[in-house]
Amino acid sequence: MSEKKIYQILEMSLWVLNPLLILIAFYNQEIQPGLFMQWIGKFHPLVLHFPIVFGMLISIYLLFFQHRRFSLDTEKFLLAINALFAAGVAICGILLSKQNAYDGDLINLHKWGGIAIALISWVLIYCQNLKIKSKKYLAAGFLLIIIGSAHKGAQLTHGVNALSFPEPAASKTENKNSAETQLTLYESTISPILASKCISCHGLDKIKGGLQLNSPENIIKGGKDGNILKGDANKTAMFIERIHAPLNDEKHMPPDGKTQLTSEEIAILSSWIKAGSSFTVKVNELQKEDSLYLLTNKSQPAVKPNFVPKSNLPDLKEFNSNYCTTNYLFNGSDEVEVNFFQGAFYDHENLKKLGKIKDGIVNLNMQGMPLKKEDLDLIVQFKNIQKLNLNGTKLEIASLEVLKSLPNLKSLSICGIEFDEAALDKFLDHAKFTELNVWTQNGTEKQLEKLMSKYPAIRIVVGDNLEDQVLQISNPTIEQDSLIIPNHVDIKLKHLLKGVVIRYTTDGTEPDSIKSPEYKENFRLTQNTVLKIKAYRTGWKSSDIVQRTYYKSEIHPDSIYLLTQPDPKHRGNGSKTLIDYDLGENNRYTDKWLGYQNSNMDLVIGFNQTKPLNSVYFNAYIETGGEIFPIESITAHGSDDGKTYKKIAETKFPAAKKDDPNGAKTFTCNFPKGTAYKFYKFSVSNVKKMPVWRKDRKGKPAWIFVDELFLN
Amino acid sequence: MREFLEHGLNQNRRKFLSKMSLGIGGLALGSLMVPGIFDGKNEDDLFTNVLPHFAPKAKRVIYLFQNGAPSQLDLFDYKPMLQKMHGEDLPASIRMGQRLTGMTANQAKFPLAGTKFNFSQHGRSGAWFSETLPHLASMSDEMCFVRSIYTEAINHDPALTFFQTGAQVGNRPSMGSWISYGLGSENKNLPAFCVLLSKGKGNGQGVYSKLWNNGFLDSIHQGVQFSSGEEPVKYLTDPAFINRPDKRAMLDEISALNDAAYKNIGDPEIVTKIQQYELAYRMQMAVPELTSLQNEPESIIKMYGPECLIPGTYAANCLLARKLSENGVRFVQLYHQGWDTHGNLPKEIEGQCKDIDQSSAALIKDLKQRGLLDETLVIWGGEFGRTNYCQGALTKDNYGRDHHPRCFTIWMAGGGVKPGVFGETDDFGYNITNLPVHVHDFHATVMHLMGIDHEKFTFKHQGRRYRLTDVAGNVVHDLIS
Repeated sequence: MSEKKIYQILEMSLWVLNPLLILIAFYNQEIQPGLFMQWIGKFHPLVLHFPIVFGMLISIYLLFFQHRRFSLDTEKFLLAINALFAAGVAICGILLSKQNAYDGDLINLHKWGGIAIALISWVLIYCQNLKIKSKKYLAAGFLLIIIGSAHKGAQLTHGVNALSFPEPAASKTENKNSAETQLTLYESTISPILASKCISCHGLDKIKGGLQLNSPENIIKGGKDGNILKGDANKTAMFIERIHAPLNDEKHMPPDGKTQLTSEEIAILSSWIKAGSSFTVKVNELQKEDSLYLLTNKSQPAVKPNFVPKSNLPDLKEFNSNYCTTNYLFNGSDEVEVNFFQGAFYDHENLKKLGKIKDGIVNLNMQGMPLKKEDLDLIVQFKNIQKLNLNGTKLEIASLEVLKSLPNLKSLSICGIEFDEAALDKFLDHAKFTELNVWTQNGTEKQLEKLMSKYPAIRIVVGDNLEDQVLQISNPTIEQDSLIIPNHVDIKLKHLLKGVVIRYTTDGTEPDSIKSPEYKENFRLTQNTVLKIKAYRTGWKSSDIVQRTYYKSEIHPDSIYLLTQPDPKHRGNGSKTLIDYDLGENNRYTDKWLGYQNSNMDLVIGFNQTKPLNSVYFNAYIETGGEIFPIESITAHGSDDGKTYKKIAETKFPAAKKDDPNGAKTFTCNFPKGTAYKFYKFSVSNVKKMPVWRKDRKGKPAWIFVDELFLN
Repeated sequence: MREFLEHGLNQNRRKFLSKMSLGIGGLALGSLMVPGIFDGKNEDDLFTNVLPHFAPKAKRVIYLFQNGAPSQLDLFDYKPMLQKMHGEDLPASIRMGQRLTGMTANQAKFPLAGTKFNFSQHGRSGAWFSETLPHLASMSDEMCFVRSIYTEAINHDPALTFFQTGAQVGNRPSMGSWISYGLGSENKNLPAFCVLLSKGKGNGQGVYSKLWNNGFLDSIHQGVQFSSGEEPVKYLTDPAFINRPDKRAMLDEISALNDAAYKNIGDPEIVTKIQQYELAYRMQMAVPELTSLQNEPESIIKMYGPECLIPGTYAANCLLARKLSENGVRFVQLYHQGWDTHGNLPKEIEGQCKDIDQSSAALIKDLKQRGLLDETLVIWGGEFGRTNYCQGALTKDNYGRDHHPRCFTIWMAGGGVKPGVFGETDDFGYNITNLPVHVHDFHATVMHLMGIDHEKFTFKHQGRRYRLTDVAGNVVHDLIS
């Protein structure tokens, strides 16, 4: 193959690779590289040094040695090879970046730097004939970009401090401390704060105010104004005074413009000084309630600094079902948590299957599962479990003994497992876990307290025991919506709690725990009835009385017709609202009510044959505050031909009083014996002039709201 | 001139275009290598694969929303100065001309109203509690108080909507929907986001389903409201004549039809529909077991108080919230109405406190004894606070308070928050003097606790990427243990 041919292939490849690079750079978010592409991505660190070296050599050549020219063709050839490497490395880099979770800014700078290198390398091929001077500028820029983005890349792999100067000894302690509680408070907490915020001016290099804060001796020695740690009754310690001074005060430390102490750091430093500024006290010697302990027990960073995200973790899909879910704790973590739900569908096989990932499981939640010994034998094999939830599992405490062999178990929950002091005592003996959650039941608090003091290393968390408290039981409920008895209704009573006895009366008297019948099975009502029920349970006060009035409505008219129309806003479902056996209850805004204000409610009911009637009831809603007053009177007329009516009866009702309770009430009009017609006309009259106590509305007509009429 | 340039670049139009065709080849290669590179639909998958972004401290949230805005000055933020200056006018230097609601802006005077209740300090942090909250006071060591939260809205609806969705206008997904979208449900038999309502006797403000709406997210993330009646989830029970196997067969047929329709039309809502049918089918088994009180021992019932036996009360909802959360529901949202104490505050707030005190404390205790408190974040708070001055007539022991968005108190417990008292307000309880926490900061913090970086958690809708925190919000690390 001729040299020219090779160059052509090179140039063509560049025209393919560079647009591709631009494309994946902009659609970075959308890319999900397959396995092969992930593998390609891994070549990034292998080849990246080529374009760096090439690029730097080219820049140096362009900057200083342009006069000693290579032949144009050689130059072109070299530039093309450089561009090819640069484009390849950039593409690999983007593919690689998708595999690991890198931090935003750093990766962005690196990415766009790399892309710039690839593109400039490409452009350079076509710039051979530019002026020498412009090429020099181009080369200088190119060199800077190479150095810059290569450095960002180094920071990505070797950490942000990859090239920063090694720090002096004082601050180094910070790195190795945290876990080791053997360190003194000074080493673990105080010194790092001073190192980061103070010793730039009060250290080895600068000694402002004669003060050095880099060692205990120097701190004790103080500055040119003397001791900084000791105060007396009249004067606080200078150190505390200075860090608390207002920012605009000249005495404020650190001075305005320097990095300030956080409020937490201020609190730590001043508590430490107030507590005597000991340089020897160790972190684990502090009392748990000590404010210094609380302050220094700092929040852990969300991701541990040395955390390396894992990739290519096994897919957990095969372990997931509707009743068992598994997931990694978070993106890049190889720790798995497992939850089981709905005991009714528990399957031992599901737990067995988890054996494949048994070392990954750290949290296992088996709350409410019907576990047996064979399940526990499996769980014990999950050596890395840290948190195990066995609440409500019906296991016996004695059977939990095997769990003690779990080496990493920290927290165990056994709420709802039957209490057995001897077994629990044995179980806690030599147990390695540090937290046990268990609930208190009647009589167990004393025994639990004993165990708490016997095993102080285990934090036993219990709930409140209020079983001795006598509380009122909630009301029973009636599972029967309609209050109307066409022929009969069967009443079903219910209470949410187990062990509740419901007693009832149907004669209007109050139920009591001796005479009133106990509800065992559904009973039947056939007449107008006031049903009263009450719930009883041992250890509780009895409930309130629940009362309901049932209305007999034996007779259903064949037709109904409203002579006057209800208010347009309250017209319900028209005339049939009154005979649909559906009461409106206490919500007058539903379409179960008919409302009248400007006229009486006049209506006619008809039968196909002459029908004897004894009475009519109207069920009406009363809310005097809302201008809804009781019915004033009911007048009944009868007719056989639907044209000429004869008056049957008229009933007037007492006027409303100011403090009448709100709610539904029935208004009855009884007929003389032997009343029998084909048509009945009723006129239900509202209060035409509201009384004086309705203040501004006095003299105006009141509303009536009617939802049903009953015929007997 | 042009010739020079072309020569210099060794390039001209013809060369450029002919070579560009290779570039198009590159594009084509790219789209082959990365399938779907141009349809941009993979964002959903992307998120569910990378969430949580980091180790979560809280796996679930129970948000006890106190609808109507409880008065921080009568519950947690003790201001003896107000008692001392009871009846005196609010100094203009404190108010600094800040906006008031239409309800009091025209008042001639703004008489300061000191709380009528006695306060005492409880727990290691020495948090102040009003005497109306004895049970909660006993849980002080678990509670993280933020006395310096503030909002931008001054009326209920926008303020509520702001807290729930991160925006004052009501078209964004609710917080629970975001969490459902990001983390999904732990338990596949229950929705990831459940809503429970209750009503106190105090002056109430409405709650409406837009508050638990999924907004532009898939409708499977909408909050599912549990109601108080016999049937907690509406329309869940089958009619008497349908049995389980028949139902299964019916659903299989329907989903086959839906599947065919989806293949034909490609509307993602069809897939949602199929999922919802399946979820409802599984809920038919899970919900009755969950809502039954039969398996709760007496000690638990008594802990929440006897009201928990009455469906639809706050106490019953707290107990149900624990059961939902324990069974893997990511976000349980309670609303308790009745805190809008414009007048007659002392009496109304006493009633409201009675509703919530014992059961909120019991919820913390109950989660703790089950070993769940460390992974469950409990949040209690309203949509804004109440003014230090009196609305309407001020007497010695009766007063009312207007809306005050500039500072109020919420508390959190469990789920990785640091117990203690954070933030400060001035002596008048009017402005924040330390650690202001904006609603966006609050959202950012809650998401941080759930292992979510709020800046990376977005949804692209109508050409823009949306966040719960919009374009603001900082994680308040002071609150995190």
